[in-house]
Amino acid sequence: MSRKKHSKQDVENALQYAEAKGWRIEVGGSHAWGKMYCPYNDKDCRCGEFCITSIWSTPRNAANHAKQIRRVVDHCAGGYSESED
Amino acid sequence: MKEYEFTLKFMLQDASIDPEIFIERLGAEGCDDALVGLGQNGRIAMTFNREASSAYQAISSAICDVKRVIPDARLIEATPDLVGLTDVAELLGFSRQNMRKLMLGSGGTFPAPLHDGKPAIWHLAKVLGWLKERNKYQIDDALLEVSNTNMQFNIVKEIKEIDPGLQDDIRTLIA
Repeated sequence: MSRKKHSKQDVENALQYAEAKGWRIEVGGSHAWGKMYCPYNDKDCRCGEFCITSIWSTPRNAANHAKQIRRVVDHCAGGYSESED
Repeated sequence: MKEYEFTLKFMLQDASIDPEIFIERLGAEGCDDALVGLGQNGRIAMTFNREASSAYQAISSAICDVKRVIPDARLIEATPDLVGLTDVAELLGFSRQNMRKLMLGSGGTFPAPLHDGKPAIWHLAKVLGWLKERNKYQIDDALLEVSNTNMQFNIVKEIKEIDPGLQDDIRTLIA
């Protein structure tokens, strides 16, 4: 893997989780460490606003940041249940 | 201090603006406790995990932080508030079937939906309150507080649609 690692281990693990599900990671920024892009970032995308998600370099709480990243990935097309209300 | 988790969705006045340009300043202005979503042009969504003395304090300070960076950002929704049964089940770690059973077996005490369709929509605070009062379920206090506060924001946001000329009359009719 060629990209720069995130300095917070929790966040790095969450990013690797995202990559394993097909998300693309782009590094760049100062407060922002980079962005992640949903693999279905087109008409089939189901994550809405979060199909492009910004990652902080130094989130206030790395564990929370990591948990939120995983949740976005899990809610994306792959992980979302199709159940109807 | 408690930690409150909520998502705020904003609309930018100029839909052609890539919200990307605001990211660095949002980081500098205290939004480093939020995950920022930029997937839709003209929109910005932020999921906060914010420590504060109350849900209102957490949510109002988050909106202030965003408005300092993007003064014309307009709040379009505070979540979680408007939910279907699947959302409630997911938030509480129930199965959807279990949630349905609770609703159908409630003997008509289950809160009336805001919209009865496919899907039917409730205010989360109403459903959580019912689960807590009627069924003695353990409901996370922070979630209950957030859902109540979000409901206030979402309702007040709609008040500008009110026709003042009809307001009193309608109030009587629906009382």
